[in-house]
Amino acid sequence: MSQLATSPKTAPRWVENLKNPPAYKAKGPSLPDPPGFPSSQTPSSKKKDSKVAQRKAPTTEEMDTLKVKKAWEVALGPVKGLPMTGIMMYMSGNSLQIFSIMMVFMAFKNPIMGILATNQAFERFETDTNKGQILQVKLAYVVMQLLALGLGIWKVNAMGLLPTTRSDWLAWEAQREPLEHAISGL
Amino acid sequence: MLPPQLSTFLLLALPSAVRAVFQDEVGHIDYHYELLGVPQPETTFFHRPRREERASLLYTLSDIGVLGAVNPTSGAVVWRHLLNGTLTNGGGFLRAGEGENWVTGALGKSVHAWDGVNGRNKFWVDFDGEVKDLEIMEMTENNRKDVLALFDEHGSTVLRRLSGDDGAEVWKYTEASKDIPLQVSTNVEKVFVISLRGSSGSYNLKVTVIDTLTGKELDQWVLGAKGEVRSEKDVMFVGANSAAPIVAWTDDSLQKLRISVLGTRNRQEFALPEDTLAVEIHAPHLVQSLPHFLVHIKTAAGNFAQVYHTDLKTNAISKAYDLPNLEESSAFSTSSDNANVYFSRITDGELVLVSSVSSAIVGQWPLKDGKLNQAALHAVSDVVKKSGSGQNFAIRAAVVTDKDNWVLVRNGELAWTRPEGMSGGVAAAFAEIPENEDLAKTLEQEAHENPLEAYIHRVNRHIHDLQYLPAYLSSIPSRLMDSILGTETSTKDGKPARDSFGFHKLAILATRRGMLYGLDIGNHGRILWADRVFHIAGGDKWNVTGIQINESGGETTVVGSNKDSVTFKTLTGEIVESKAPEIQVSTQSTALVSTEQGQILLPIGSNGEVLDVPSSWTPGQTVVTQGSEGGLKGITFVDDGSKLSQVVSWTFALPEGQKVASIATRPVHDPVASIGRVLGDRSVRYKYLNPNTLVLAAIDESKSTLTVYLLDTVSGQILTSSTYEGVDAGKPIEVAMSENWFVVSFFGQNTLRSSPDQSIKGYQIAITDLYESDVANDRGPLEDAENFSSLEPLDVPSAGGTSALPAVISQTYVLSSPIKALQVSQTRQGISSRQVLAYLPEMHGIVGIPRMFLEPRRPVGRDPTPAEVEEGLMKYHPVIEIDPKSIVTHERDVLGVEKIITSPAVVESTSLVFAFGVDVFGTRVAPSFLFDILGKGFNKLSLVGTVMACFAGVVALGPMVRRKQIDARWKAPM
Repeated sequence: MSQLATSPKTAPRWVENLKNPPAYKAKGPSLPDPPGFPSSQTPSSKKKDSKVAQRKAPTTEEMDTLKVKKAWEVALGPVKGLPMTGIMMYMSGNSLQIFSIMMVFMAFKNPIMGILATNQAFERFETDTNKGQILQVKLAYVVMQLLALGLGIWKVNAMGLLPTTRSDWLAWEAQREPLEHAISGL
Repeated sequence: MLPPQLSTFLLLALPSAVRAVFQDEVGHIDYHYELLGVPQPETTFFHRPRREERASLLYTLSDIGVLGAVNPTSGAVVWRHLLNGTLTNGGGFLRAGEGENWVTGALGKSVHAWDGVNGRNKFWVDFDGEVKDLEIMEMTENNRKDVLALFDEHGSTVLRRLSGDDGAEVWKYTEASKDIPLQVSTNVEKVFVISLRGSSGSYNLKVTVIDTLTGKELDQWVLGAKGEVRSEKDVMFVGANSAAPIVAWTDDSLQKLRISVLGTRNRQEFALPEDTLAVEIHAPHLVQSLPHFLVHIKTAAGNFAQVYHTDLKTNAISKAYDLPNLEESSAFSTSSDNANVYFSRITDGELVLVSSVSSAIVGQWPLKDGKLNQAALHAVSDVVKKSGSGQNFAIRAAVVTDKDNWVLVRNGELAWTRPEGMSGGVAAAFAEIPENEDLAKTLEQEAHENPLEAYIHRVNRHIHDLQYLPAYLSSIPSRLMDSILGTETSTKDGKPARDSFGFHKLAILATRRGMLYGLDIGNHGRILWADRVFHIAGGDKWNVTGIQINESGGETTVVGSNKDSVTFKTLTGEIVESKAPEIQVSTQSTALVSTEQGQILLPIGSNGEVLDVPSSWTPGQTVVTQGSEGGLKGITFVDDGSKLSQVVSWTFALPEGQKVASIATRPVHDPVASIGRVLGDRSVRYKYLNPNTLVLAAIDESKSTLTVYLLDTVSGQILTSSTYEGVDAGKPIEVAMSENWFVVSFFGQNTLRSSPDQSIKGYQIAITDLYESDVANDRGPLEDAENFSSLEPLDVPSAGGTSALPAVISQTYVLSSPIKALQVSQTRQGISSRQVLAYLPEMHGIVGIPRMFLEPRRPVGRDPTPAEVEEGLMKYHPVIEIDPKSIVTHERDVLGVEKIITSPAVVESTSLVFAFGVDVFGTRVAPSFLFDILGKGFNKLSLVGTVMACFAGVVALGPMVRRKQIDARWKAPM
């Protein structure tokens, strides 16, 4: 044990090497570095960094335009999927089965959740300067979500789940009661 | 996924596949009493249908006109026929030739013969007059047994000898006098016709002797003094085919018995005891039998018998011996074995056999099971002398008792009992099994107290009820086992108890003979009790006008037409109160009204007035009655301070020539689940739901037209009427009504209006639907009004100053079989579709026609559109074939059903059905299938087995999984 205690003073060479690795020596071009070796990446990243560093920082107006553009993309997002959803809904038929029920559920859940989360969706694009524009985008977003909701309602109606006909309210209609009564004595 | 049309088609096709009664339900949901009617003394006998075999059958022509054979060993019906198609009231003749394989019967105008073994018809001949007597000629010139039938043809006496082979007339003897033909008898050489000569109330007997070969009159003389016979009933006996046939009659006051041997002109008189009530004569029917006979005399003090012997040479009748007087009632019967004649006497506890030669008792059998507990009225017996030494006899006697049972006693042992009294039912009702009355009272009490006290009372009651908990818990395993194994426990401590499905009810049946029966229909229709309420004389009929069941009090009241009524405990049949019928018919019907003391039956007199108005009743309703002239009238009551007076508020007189064929109202329990019908395009046609309606079918015999009226019973207004042409008034016409529709069935023959060269002939059923308006989504002129009045005219121009009239859709179908006793199934909430139940008199079954098939909106001449298919409408087809699968009686032979009643069960899907007439049959029908209970086919055992297996698996695998998880924790992660 005493031997062990004295050994650090004279640490082996490999320990020294491990602690202080020798400086990188470039080998000839014929020997590429193994993939993942830090030396092979550092130069390119350095280059990129240097590129970015070279680019001029955008102005606030540019940033705003960019953000509004991005926001419009988000706002129009829901309507892009609509044709596909519509076709799927049409194809799935109007009977009550697990697939169409799930579809209808999603068709209602997504727009409603979207509308409720409008502010969160545009939070990152909103700055003090583009508030007015973002509001328009938000409105457009809500309209699009309502459009998606409309598709859901169309589907529900097609499935006959909306109480739009007289027969749907039949259970609440009362039987007409006679004012007089007769007893049969036949 | 199936397209909607296809799935609807499947749905429509489904019923036909699953509608039928399943085999495992037979005997479980239905019960059937195969009945003949109460056997009549003169038309019941043992007969050996195969000469070479000793086995004999018991033949009878019952008091309701059913001819049949019963196996005396088992009591099962071998064959039977309802002779006239309807129930008759007594009468008829039945004879069998010794050693012949056929029996011959006569009823009304016809004489017929039947194969004794299988009941196939041998011949059936109809004649002009009424059959008065029937006899078999045992010996003829051509070694064949012929039939002698005596007729009364419009006042003249006609005797026909019919060939026993085919019923062809051999000869005919006619005597055009005003004498009343009475009976016919024959000895070996001659035929004797006994008739009554004289004027009404004072007759004497005339004997006409006729040659057997030619049918020529040989001689004629008058027996006895003038005025000796009062009526036909006084001639008690005209001796059958013995070597010395006798004729016996009494005077009206039963003082003397006069007997004459047929063929002689002298008579012998025997004095009867002073207090004689009735006299019966029993004599053997065989040619070779000794000429002995027994006179059974009933007095106020009891009954005894005298045995007489006839001397064949001198024709002198002498008394041989007496049989002792017994206080209890007894029945005698005769049996002959070659020349030997035996008389058997059956009392409540004993069977005694004597030989006709001496008064020594040759056999005595005390009843092994104690007593019959019912008085024997009449009996037939079959005595066999056992071969070997000693006087060993075997006897079996079929006894008709005063409880209308037919009992077979074999050597003192009760072999079987047939409840023949249940035939000839006139009225029936379903009753709930009375619950514990205390609970009902407590609940009522709680309802009246203030909430806090009621709550405390209830908590106390529930704590008190805890004492039953251990018993309940201990009963759970056995109930579970019963449920799994499918065994039933329908009784609680031997008493019938209600079940949660509502299948366990009682059926109260009243018969024409004055008997009441209580049947436990949840327990295979077992007879719980049978009560003789009234003694209805033969030829009369107990005319029940109403049955009222007091559910809370557990009592039932039956009201008859002759001011008679009886109140009894529903569960035990114990009579609480009864009032015997009067001679005069006073009540034509009853109306059930609610008073403060519960519901009561209001008697209605013969010309349609309410007989007595109870004081507790505050009449606000119109009572609809039938007037004496056939029309209907509505009666209201006006309170003029001191008393109520009846006012006729409307009358409905039928047009000249029409008379009422059938009337139906909506059932008392007729819940409507939906007030409209949803069409394929989701629009609604509103049903015309007026509880105050009745449908009346009136037939005009001269024009052969049937007119069906729908009347408003408050105002008497005709709401709609329709006329059917070419209707046969002689065939049954019946109507039934439910919800917003009614059906009428009739036999009609008419040409089609659309194509006059085509005609329709057959049994038809016409259905009519009533709607509030012709167009959908419209509630008619009343629009959204909550109430309507039949008396106040509408304030809308379109109504034309009347109340709202229904829009009518009607359709007629031809049925492949005649139907009668129409009834509509009833369910608890009216959600299930309805079935029209009807008896098929030619197929001996009850059919349930689904309302869907009778739908009047079925498209005619084209295929239904997808919307109509979605609604369940099929293309109209004029013929409705009776599908054997829709016959609820399946393979049972249910004879002579007169009426069907239905009642809802607790489960919505099921309706209880009870049919009576000749037979008694009951079952359950599920018009929309059993959607709310598990069928018998549901394998509870496998379900429980699966659950148990899963549980066992969890128990076994649990420790293994746990160990594995723990092991996994202890293993180092690699």
